[in-house]
Amino acid sequence: MVNTAPVEVERPESATDVRPDLPWVTIVWNDPVNLMSYVTYVFQTVFGYPKAKAKKLMLDVHHKGRAAVSSGTREEMERDVEVLHGYGLWATLQQDR
Amino acid sequence: MTYGFRRTRDGGVRVRLDDNEVQVVRSLVGQILELLEADAKEAGDDSGAAEIGMPSLGISGRTATPDDPVLARLFPDAYGDDAEAAGDFRRYTESGLRDGKRAAAATVLTGLDAGPGLIELTAEEAQAWLRALNDVRLALATRLGLTDGFHLFGSMDPTDPRNVYDWLTFLQETLVRAVR
Repeated sequence: MVNTAPVEVERPESATDVRPDLPWVTIVWNDPVNLMSYVTYVFQTVFGYPKAKAKKLMLDVHHKGRAAVSSGTREEMERDVEVLHGYGLWATLQQDR
Repeated sequence: MTYGFRRTRDGGVRVRLDDNEVQVVRSLVGQILELLEADAKEAGDDSGAAEIGMPSLGISGRTATPDDPVLARLFPDAYGDDAEAAGDFRRYTESGLRDGKRAAAATVLTGLDAGPGLIELTAEEAQAWLRALNDVRLALATRLGLTDGFHLFGSMDPTDPRNVYDWLTFLQETLVRAVR
């Protein structure tokens, strides 16, 4: 059986992660099942974030109930959501406010 | 009782599971696989294309959120406020996601054949186990209605599913630590 679901996203390097001209964001929602260590690991693996940043985002999800973890075009965010769903995280995309 | 996963020198992982532990994991992962395979049939994934000798495009017929809360948690809506967009997203991604989860579950079932005793996994197999164990915990928590992260139950009954869930939590935690 072929696994067709992507497990990583590749991004060209940019100076910042937030690009104001590309108005969609990926939101990860808190849930009672996912381990904090696992969520941190997924953020590092999927986005290539350094551990400190991945941990901060995980704590935002944990304490605030949700956090924006990436931004870009709608298509890029759909890809991110798909990859995160593959890891069992609860993610949605929306236009940035 | 197992100490959990440890990293091995070649980048893989190893774990010792006793007979009971192998049976528990096999049963739960097997149930996930059955659920996903039945869901694939119902969504029309495995029919049609194969019958006429065509490759599957991986586009499923389903656009609505699954009624089964376990499936709804494994395949959540990607848009909170746009049912049509959520439906399109589901139509184009659900079947691929489901195949990935089926493959991960199948990898675990194959790996368990090395037990009871020492089970050694490659780095790639460890990734499959990580995702499959997470899917099992999501499913079990949904079925049991668990809404907190952590439980300390008075019951020492090893067959109490809430104790099984806690044990799986410990097991997955050791695997995350072994691969990160």
